[in-house]
Amino acid sequence: MGRTLEIREQIRRGEVSVVGRVQQFIERIKKEDKKINSFIELNPQAIAEAERVEKKLRSGERVGRLAGLIVGVKSNINVKGLRATCASRTLEDYVAPYDAEVIKRIRQEDAVIIGMQNMDEFACGSSGETSAFGPTQNPAAPGRIPGGSSSGSAAAIAAGFCDLSLGTDTGGSIRNPSSHCGVVGIKPTYGLVPRQGLIDLGMSLDQIGPIAPDVEGAALLLEIIAGRTQNECVMLPVDRVEYLSRLNRGIKGMRIGTSSKFAELTDPKIMAVIDKALDKLRDLGAEIVEVELPNLEKAMPTYYLIVSVEFFSATRKYDGRKYGKRIEEVCGEEVLRRILRGAHISRREYRGKFYQRALQVRTLIREELMRALQHVDVLVGPTVPKLPHRLGDKLTPMEMYGYDYLTVPANLAGICGGVIKAGEVNGIPVGLQIQGKPLGELDVLRVMKAMEETA
Amino acid sequence: MRVKIGFEVHLQLKTERKLYCNCPANYQDVPPNTNVCPICTGMPGAKPLPPNEQAIDAAIEIGLMLGCRILTDRTIYIQRKHYDYPDLPSGYQRTSQPIAVDGELSGVRIREVHLEEDPGQYDPVAGRVDFNRSGVPLVEIVTEPDIKSPDEAREFLKLLTRALEYTGKVRPEGGGAMRADVNISLEGGGRVEVKNINSIHGAFRALNYEIMRQKRKLERGERVERETRAYLESQMITVPMRAKEMEEDYRYIPDPDLFPLRISNQKVEAIRRQMPEAPHLRFKRIVAQYNINEEAAEVIVSERELADLFEQVAQRVSPHLAATWFRTKLKKVLNYHGMRAADVKFTSAQLAELLQLVERKEITPEQGELVLRELVVDPRSPRALLEKLGLKPLKPADIEKLIHAVIEENQPAVRDYLSGKTEALNFLVGQVMRASKGKADPREIRKRIEEILKEGR
Ligand SMILES: [Zn+2]
Repeated sequence: MGRTLEIREQIRRGEVSVVGRVQQFIERIKKEDKKINSFIELNPQAIAEAERVEKKLRSGERVGRLAGLIVGVKSNINVKGLRATCASRTLEDYVAPYDAEVIKRIRQEDAVIIGMQNMDEFACGSSGETSAFGPTQNPAAPGRIPGGSSSGSAAAIAAGFCDLSLGTDTGGSIRNPSSHCGVVGIKPTYGLVPRQGLIDLGMSLDQIGPIAPDVEGAALLLEIIAGRTQNECVMLPVDRVEYLSRLNRGIKGMRIGTSSKFAELTDPKIMAVIDKALDKLRDLGAEIVEVELPNLEKAMPTYYLIVSVEFFSATRKYDGRKYGKRIEEVCGEEVLRRILRGAHISRREYRGKFYQRALQVRTLIREELMRALQHVDVLVGPTVPKLPHRLGDKLTPMEMYGYDYLTVPANLAGICGGVIKAGEVNGIPVGLQIQGKPLGELDVLRVMKAMEETA
Repeated sequence: MRVKIGFEVHLQLKTERKLYCNCPANYQDVPPNTNVCPICTGMPGAKPLPPNEQAIDAAIEIGLMLGCRILTDRTIYIQRKHYDYPDLPSGYQRTSQPIAVDGELSGVRIREVHLEEDPGQYDPVAGRVDFNRSGVPLVEIVTEPDIKSPDEAREFLKLLTRALEYTGKVRPEGGGAMRADVNISLEGGGRVEVKNINSIHGAFRALNYEIMRQKRKLERGERVERETRAYLESQMITVPMRAKEMEEDYRYIPDPDLFPLRISNQKVEAIRRQMPEAPHLRFKRIVAQYNINEEAAEVIVSERELADLFEQVAQRVSPHLAATWFRTKLKKVLNYHGMRAADVKFTSAQLAELLQLVERKEITPEQGELVLRELVVDPRSPRALLEKLGLKPLKPADIEKLIHAVIEENQPAVRDYLSGKTEALNFLVGQVMRASKGKADPREIRKRIEEILKEGR
């Protein structure tokens, strides 16, 4: 049993106090998070929530599957009564008036929400540096960026500030910081997890997913947040999923695809770690198969066209009338860049040239990945092509976008992807990315679990 | 001078719920900002629910009613139309691609029918927005520029609202439920769009003003530029809109939060089977089937319930008699009470019974009308109402007896008549009427006396 499930058992058996743990976490955050900056706001109700769960436990009442586990939430998810700032001045005073669907679900399972986590502003970033509340540090590689945009969510797990985090992934925002921080993260298949209550970046790409210290923790949280609701339109017809009981099947006989394209785009030092991981998977009985991904590098520019148009549309509501500030007047550089790009390329005269073309390339990439996944169970390779830079280093926008080459294809295709630490380069964690078929989360999790056990 | 006029008409659909959330749609009945939720106020992170099926079905039915082809088995995107206005909580309005195309109503081609959501209501004086209306479903009907005068335009809008009211799927006109944009061009001038028209009457006035304005310009040798103007109802004039509002680029994108619509043939057929007959088709059929004049048929189909009533009554009495009564007496009585056919409480059987009494000459048309007036306020059997009004009908045999008695008693007048003094007949008829206490039909009596005297000669 991994750490997360072990804690859950101890809580159930009454060996540890939920209230006590919440108090400890809060104290640690207050002391150590000054340096890491992974939380924007703590939940003033956290202790009260913990007391409620503890009471239930003591009275022998039936408790939920997350009973007493402490969850941090990325600041673009509505948690009633807490500020969903999106780490932007635009929404710095926006107190969520309702719970996102995923929050309703974790509350139902008796989780305790500890607070709202830092992130790149409106999830626009791959480094954790664009937050209006200051950059986040990488606890696993001090002095370096934690990755983004779910920077606080991954850093908080790496620093041990909560048991589980809810992050979001539009072009790699769960997987990228999970890789840099050496934690476990999953971007679910598009349409598996409800987005009701998730503040938009790119609506056709966004998914909420778990970030955890171990594979079982991620699988547990995903089981709870996954499944359709009648209240949302664009969802897959899946009512519930079950992973935990089937994680440990091993990977003997599994067909694992990999592509020479990965090495072309990736730092050789990172590839060395990835190749070693592939060897381990082969040793565990998987068959490693080479697949063709000729258009893979086209995904990144395509992604930035589509996400900018959708983001432009999504941000029209921040017109200064309802939330106090007009987004264009208070936002950071990268957010503004995307809004202006989106406004430009969705103009009548440019639509055909940019937006329509981008949608065509998106189809091409989706078909390419689907074709590859017909022959294999999962695709395995690096998560991020470069090591995280030092905090404070100035990157050009194109250098920054370069972090996303390997994560955006899964979003464009709507498939799932998980990340688990494969090793280190000079003490900096390197994550292995396992991409699966649509709704192929179980296969992804099995490979992640097998990898975890080799550590 | 040739004039071309086309319309974009918006009407609210009569659904219980809004289009993309579960808020009630009766926005006028509640205090401001009470029929609202995170979805229809565009709160950060709120996603639309799947579109309201009632609204989609209504749009399909309206398309069919206007003789359109429904676009089945293809992808119909719901698009985001971006513009910046205080009443628009998300900064975009959701509007579907056409659901129905290529229709026709009274010689005006219908280009398309699609579905939209209403914005909130902005009060610029108070600087407040009421979002109760935000998300209420609308149908937009776009015509080709086939209308040639303001009178034709008014007639067309009347026919259009009648057709839509027939479906029972739109909120009744008035109360801001109908909004229209009109485009108008005169021969040799640019196409001018006039927005902000809120009634049929307003459309008529705006068009008259606009034709006059454009005509004068052209007569002075000036050019009529292509532009967008707003109609100011209070002053009955049109004024240019700001340049910014005209150049607006809506940057349409398919809404990523909604699946596109896909309408099946079965669905369309199911709607077609249960929908009412379109009024203009019903008009043609009624004229042919009952062999009545067009004037009466026009009145009869003016309201769906009136036409229903007519067809039921016409099963039992002469359609010709029924048509005459509907066109003259019934419509008059209903108008007097400010009632629509949908409001009447009496049954078609009661009305038929009344007309049968007239048809069999048991009562006179004048008596019948008195009973009809009573029937509208006190719906029960016409015989009971005759009793109530003290109008007991005379049997034909009783009238016959009265006529013979009068002839017996007034031989001098009879002789006068037979010797050619025709006015003596009036005297005899008057005597019978007096004897019958006004319950007999003077026309019938006159005919009968003439017959008897001719026979006796
Ligand atoms: Zn609502």
